[in-house]
Amino acid sequence: MLRLDYQYNMQLSFAKPVNRHHFTLRCFPADNERQKITYQDINITPSYVGGEETDSFGNHCIYGLIEGEHTDFNVNVSGKAYVYGDVFLPVEPSHRIGMFRYHTGLTDMGPSLYEIYEKLPYKDDIRNDVQKVALQWMNIIYDSIKYVQGITQINTSAEEAAALSMGVCQDYAHIFLALLRHEHIPCRYVVGMMMGEGASHAWIEVSDGEKWIALDPTNNCPVDDRYINISHGRDAKDCTINQGFFYGLPEQLQEIHVVVEESSND
Amino acid sequence: MNKEGMNSYSDTVNELLARYGVRFGIYKNGTFKEQLFPLDIIPRKIGQKEVEYLEKGLKQRVMALNEFIKDIYGEKKIIRNNVIPEEFVYMGSGYLAQCEGVCPAKEIYTHISGIDLVQAKDGQWFVLEDNLRIPSGASYPMIARDICRKSSPAIFEKNAIYENRNYAKMLRKAMDHVNVGGHTVILTPGRYNAAYFEHSYLAEHTGAHLVTGNELVVENDHLYFVDYSGRKEKVGAVYRRISDEYLDPMNFNSESVIGIPHIYDIYRKGNVSLMNAPGNGVADDKGIYYFVPEMISYYLDEEPILHNAPTYLPFYEKDMKYVIENFDDLVLKDVAEAGGYGVVFGQGMTKDEKERFISMLKKEPRRFIAQEVIDFRDIDIFEDGEKVPRKADLRAFVLMAEEPMVWKSGLTRFSRNPDSFIVNSSQGGGFKDTWVLENDLSPTIL
Ligand SMILES: Nc1ncnc2c1ncn2[C@@H]1O[C@H](COP(=O)(O)OP(=O)(O)OP(=O)(O)O)[C@@H](O)[C@H]1O
Ligand SMILES: [Mg+2]
Repeated sequence: MLRLDYQYNMQLSFAKPVNRHHFTLRCFPADNERQKITYQDINITPSYVGGEETDSFGNHCIYGLIEGEHTDFNVNVSGKAYVYGDVFLPVEPSHRIGMFRYHTGLTDMGPSLYEIYEKLPYKDDIRNDVQKVALQWMNIIYDSIKYVQGITQINTSAEEAAALSMGVCQDYAHIFLALLRHEHIPCRYVVGMMMGEGASHAWIEVSDGEKWIALDPTNNCPVDDRYINISHGRDAKDCTINQGFFYGLPEQLQEIHVVVEESSND
Repeated sequence: MNKEGMNSYSDTVNELLARYGVRFGIYKNGTFKEQLFPLDIIPRKIGQKEVEYLEKGLKQRVMALNEFIKDIYGEKKIIRNNVIPEEFVYMGSGYLAQCEGVCPAKEIYTHISGIDLVQAKDGQWFVLEDNLRIPSGASYPMIARDICRKSSPAIFEKNAIYENRNYAKMLRKAMDHVNVGGHTVILTPGRYNAAYFEHSYLAEHTGAHLVTGNELVVENDHLYFVDYSGRKEKVGAVYRRISDEYLDPMNFNSESVIGIPHIYDIYRKGNVSLMNAPGNGVADDKGIYYFVPEMISYYLDEEPILHNAPTYLPFYEKDMKYVIENFDDLVLKDVAEAGGYGVVFGQGMTKDEKERFISMLKKEPRRFIAQEVIDFRDIDIFEDGEKVPRKADLRAFVLMAEEPMVWKSGLTRFSRNPDSFIVNSSQGGGFKDTWVLENDLSPTIL
């Protein structure tokens, strides 16, 4: 178990003012079996009218409307969490698992994915021991893809990334999901934060029918108590951190800065 | 009526229809074209006994479909009990994960359904399709009846026919039943939509406001209609004629400019009703259609009253074999298409086309269904001064309030082409009024 302090900052700047800006934010860690949020402070500017909700995957969202003209949109979330590295999330409710067995547009199979698929070992065993086999598969994915920033985008599909043999955490996760789903194994995309300083992170969870086994293909390791969950869904699209809709079409720049460190004091 | 009489009657009513703007639009080669939707003056007639039978069957069918949608976005018992394979649900284009766990007002998902039927030569009816998303077409027989009545009142004095203008009242009842407080509006994508005529006609006749997305706003978790002076009025029910994906850019297609940001979020909270319920397309997938008779037994514990056309799912090996062996006798349908586009008859294909189709079928078995060709009834149409028989189907409308209600009329579509079974308006067909007779006596005129 680790006690972590986290800060999540998102800064969106527009080159020219926008107005009637609608947003939905999905960047708030919440309590679950593997993490307990003991304190959380959320600061969104400029001021807005809106509400809160839980989406169909169980993710906490804040949504709203900023009516007037503005050039900046800032979200700061800071908090403290206890994270239990050896606990897996339960599959609950169990009848919701089916949807995670099927490809979405971002995880559809294609020739480059089939090439990786051919290299995967223990396919016959995956139903008996998901955890063991998925770890083996993760090795292969890790070796097939080179971590390179700036080549892929948020809507790059697993197949496109596999064809490039390059990508970032989102692409590693989508490729992993595509291959598991090809074997009909339920698995989901997870957005969260990892100990250290940088951007937000993404990994996957694969189910053995009872629990969600969390694996980080970008770092080729199981997810442990250094990781804080933010949201999950079938792919990155279900977990969009900031969905926006506004009037005006200026250039925009989004910067995300995340810091997670072990708590030093009480 | 004699030939001259019929000719001039036909010209008069079609001229009036054109003047009222009864058209429908289609996109062809990327451009929007509107064409007239020609009315044939000879109505389809359905007798009292027949309509009682259809009514029972249609109510039963829509009840089961509604239960199915509720189950799919809820507990999924029908999947867990292995009645329907889950891939047919999750891989269908109508399933929306965003609707998981969301329950609309009064548990109604199918406020307005359009069930497509054909009647075989021996009199038996078959359901060809359930249109649950945004079934259109009710306005056409309504206005046709109105115009015909004005042009030739005598015809209606001699025949005892059920009034069909009550569709507006039924629709209003369905709207009021789920309204959670506030105005009722009809949401149209705008003037360039294929069914714009219908949207404005139904608004006028139900007394609901006709609005576009930019006249509605979500504020403080409620939906408001903003009138020309900027005043905001609360909205409690939206009969939306915009498909799910364009309804809300924050929750569905983020590029939609005809939707209303956050309308889905407040719908989820129960602060507004959307008719029909988002996600209900999961039940009108052509693949799911195969299972409707099983749904009826499963949810209602009743025997299905109305029959499906005999249908095969190449997904099942046994059916695949049958389909390949009997290819020439079957009609094949792409489950993802509508408007008659993905419908092909085995018989009309060349050897080459057949082979290509079968290999596609083997590659993507879930994408197609196959049906026996129903040799459905011809109905006379009046063309170039003659009565000639043409294939015609029937779209029956079922509306849900406290109880399901079946409209005693419907849209009869026919094919212009004497050799064609395809009656879809986007394929150049026309329509007829549908008369439900108050008794089983045969009508005297037309
Ligand atoms: N089994 C069948 N036997 C004979 N004709 C058929 C059969 N199935 C369909 N057709 C003809 O093709 C038309 C279109 O079929 P269907 O309704 O399944 O397709 P669609 O693409 O969903 O059309 P729409 O959505 O406009 O109703 C029917 O109205 C009917 O005229
Ligand atoms: Mg149809």
